Amino acid sequence: MADLPLLTILVFFPLAGGLLMLPVWKRPVAARPLALGVMTGELLLALWLYASWHGLAALKPILPGYLLVEDAPWIGAFGIRYTLGLDGISLLMVMLTAFSFCVALAVSWRAVGEKVGLFLALLLAMETGIMGVFLALDLALFYLFWEVMLIPMFFLIGIWGHGRRIYSTVKFFLFTMFGSLLMLLAIIALHLLHAQQSGVATFGLQQLIATRLPGGTQLWLFGAFFLAFAIKFPLFPLHTWLPDAHTDAPTAGSVILAGLLLKTGSYGLLRFGYPLFPQAAQTLTPLFYTLAIAGIVYASLVAFAQEDMKRLIAYSSIGHMGYVAIGIAAWQPVALSGSIIQMANHGVTTGALFAMVGMLDERAHTREINAFGGLWGKIPLWSFFFLLFSMASAGLPGLNNFVGEFLVLSGTFTRSPLAAGLAFTGIVLTLVYTVRLVQEVVFQTERTPLPLADLDRRELCLLAVLALLVVWMGVHPTPLLDLIHGPVQLLVGGAP
Amino acid sequence: MTNADLMAFMPLIILAGGSVVVLLAGAVRPGGWLYELALAFVVAALVWTIALPANAVMPGLAVTPFSRFFAVFLDSTGLVALLLASGYNKRRGIVGEEYPATLLFALAGMGAACAATDLLMLFLGLEAFTFAFYILVAVERDSVRGGEAGLKYLLNGTLSAAILAMGIALVYCSRGTLKLAELALQAAPPEPLFLAGVCMVLVGLAFKLSWVPAHLWTPDVYQGAPAPVTALLSTASKGASAAAVLLVLPLAAVWRGGHDILWGLALATLVCGNLAALVQSSIKRLLAWSSVAQMGYVALAFVALPAGGARAALFYIVAYAAAGLASFGAVAVLSDGTDRDAIEQYRGLGYRNPLAGAALAVALFSLTGIPPAVGFMAKFAVFSAALRAGETALAVVGALSALVAVFFYLRVVVALYMRPADGGDAPVRRLSISESVALAIPTAAILFLGLSPSPLLDVVAHILRLP
Repeated sequence: MADLPLLTILVFFPLAGGLLMLPVWKRPVAARPLALGVMTGELLLALWLYASWHGLAALKPILPGYLLVEDAPWIGAFGIRYTLGLDGISLLMVMLTAFSFCVALAVSWRAVGEKVGLFLALLLAMETGIMGVFLALDLALFYLFWEVMLIPMFFLIGIWGHGRRIYSTVKFFLFTMFGSLLMLLAIIALHLLHAQQSGVATFGLQQLIATRLPGGTQLWLFGAFFLAFAIKFPLFPLHTWLPDAHTDAPTAGSVILAGLLLKTGSYGLLRFGYPLFPQAAQTLTPLFYTLAIAGIVYASLVAFAQEDMKRLIAYSSIGHMGYVAIGIAAWQPVALSGSIIQMANHGVTTGALFAMVGMLDERAHTREINAFGGLWGKIPLWSFFFLLFSMASAGLPGLNNFVGEFLVLSGTFTRSPLAAGLAFTGIVLTLVYTVRLVQEVVFQTERTPLPLADLDRRELCLLAVLALLVVWMGVHPTPLLDLIHGPVQLLVGGAP
Repeated sequence: MTNADLMAFMPLIILAGGSVVVLLAGAVRPGGWLYELALAFVVAALVWTIALPANAVMPGLAVTPFSRFFAVFLDSTGLVALLLASGYNKRRGIVGEEYPATLLFALAGMGAACAATDLLMLFLGLEAFTFAFYILVAVERDSVRGGEAGLKYLLNGTLSAAILAMGIALVYCSRGTLKLAELALQAAPPEPLFLAGVCMVLVGLAFKLSWVPAHLWTPDVYQGAPAPVTALLSTASKGASAAAVLLVLPLAAVWRGGHDILWGLALATLVCGNLAALVQSSIKRLLAWSSVAQMGYVALAFVALPAGGARAALFYIVAYAAAGLASFGAVAVLSDGTDRDAIEQYRGLGYRNPLAGAALAVALFSLTGIPPAVGFMAKFAVFSAALRAGETALAVVGALSALVAVFFYLRVVVALYMRPADGGDAPVRRLSISESVALAIPTAAILFLGLSPSPLLDVVAHILRLP
């Protein structure tokens, strides 16, 4: 199996599945199992790669730190190559992607009843785009995937969303394009500067890292990259697209947005932004800290005031991603590991929370916190899982988010005790709004009598898997930390 | 002129002769297979150009790799435009042989302009096809808007032709020759008379390319003309005019002011085209302003001429042509019986007419510059050339105006797929085979060239003799 272009398969298998959907376009009965088959196959491939990563790591790597690399010429005139590479960090993100798409499909199994074929084809196309982002090692190729993943999301929110869906989807698209276009110019400029220095026209990450840039130029180029990634992140004050997009997106869209799209921002920063422009990144670190901490505090306060459950979770996402930002800003092995683990954790927990709100919305046709109350007595299974995921989100020890936040804060403390201390207050604020949410929805006395049914078998299976993951990642994160240990050391410039 | 020369010029002769044959055939058997006949001539010219590559020279004209590239480009767009027009014209009551015959004549004129080696032949080629377009734009005799568009195009076009002719005369007066190669070689410090001439030639061409401030005819003419004509006007004529600019620019190469004038034109065109498109409610006007804006990127590529801008410009022209044909083609198909012009009227059409809707959406994404559509690669090429030439400010303006463009292109996509249709989900009408083919060709080209631009880039590099 080692001779197969595994990474290419990983990237394009979902798209091929989406094209297979064409003949069964109008028959949901056939389209849904087909999509499930493709997504499960993708997940199995990702898990197989994980199971064999020790073996792969023992092989002589083509690029230092990478388990698998695929490289071929693509557009010779511009010096663009088709280069994909998989290291521990990418593998973690690939697993998260494959898993999140299965979750997204499961939650929309019944919720999406219109134009099902198109919906599933778009989901699969987006999976290809996101996989590409996490695997591309050529900057032009990366940019291509980075943009490609926007189109399906634009349609997902615009067609199957609710409320002000068109406003939200256009806003989402404009915000991301704004950052992206400047990043494109920066990518081309970097390419040209490298070509001037070395005489080699390339967009390859490994080669471009070697470019020597004067301070001012570096700052400009990093600024453009940073803007693109910070919008995706979303870093305060560039976050305003996120609550709208989340609120109006269909549940599957929210799961993918929170679980994956936000991660592409943080991934881009640690894979491209920091390694390409180390001095500029260092110069901007105080700014990065400030924005991240402001974001955590601001998002937590705003989350507290939300009446719509989905909006509340959307704001909590901004807060949680703030910890990821702080960990990256500290650029120190422990904090960076924490950030990466936190990316996976947040994908799982927030994905689960959005899925659960979606389930409730399907039943009650409202997401107003005030409409509920006393659910513990009424739908105990749902309430149990909601409590579990909320506690995980608030960072309860033994559950997954605690690991990430702990590592981020302890790592950051060695670099900047002030930043770590301020960020800590965010944890307290997170706890406050989470407790309020759980208290109002699950434990309060019932406010409006709603005829609600508890979880069915499909939902129970889905949530049980998510819950097991949350507990496993919280109790025994070592395998995942081992996976990213080497790449993190390489990133921060130490020996693996 | 030897036999071999005749063979090399055959594609042009086929088109010009074909035009006459179609006219005669129409007189003999009105309403016969005129579109099919015209189509056969275009295909013959296309196949000849590709299958029998040959170089030849005659006074004023030369068949070179450059002219053959444009011949293939022009014939392909003509082919698609003819396929679109046959059904459209029948439904709109545009009968007779004028349409196919004039279209063939326009193709011949554009081909001649691209093969010109002196300014006089360039002028004749340009004016021949512009003249054909005066007729095509106003071919729908009962349409008030069509007549107005024809008149506007005629008045503006005549003015630009006069300026162009005056410019050529000034160049001739100062240098005593019209041959482009000789003019470019005379590297002597340019005298005012010569510069005035070159500037006037550039202004004349700016009109044809809809560069601001010579663009004001564009929205009215595009809106008034039948959609298949607009499809050809916005793509083929722009391509031929860009070729003409490429032929003329070496004349101004030694003079810094030439660069500055182009710089200003590019800036004004980018900003004005994109901003004006923002406020349009008619889809044809929106696409017209978008075409102005897109020509701004071509101008940006010309500004970066010393740094590979020519390659970027040619690639951009092909990319834009594919998107232009697909978008105006979709509009032609969707609006032929109903005069559907307001963007609002396109609500839900993505589901009611999937192929036309998809073609329009793909074309708009390409015009926006989002991968995997070829528009992204085209912008990439232009930005890359601009940055290499040190035109950072203009590149940033280009990028920001692309952001503005996202807004108005997406409005149409939103209408197509995200707003409920007025007529329920009932299909609009079944497309004929020729219409389906006419939409499928440019749409496939957009996606194929977007993912695999290398072959086209190599061809362009070859004809420009780049390494």
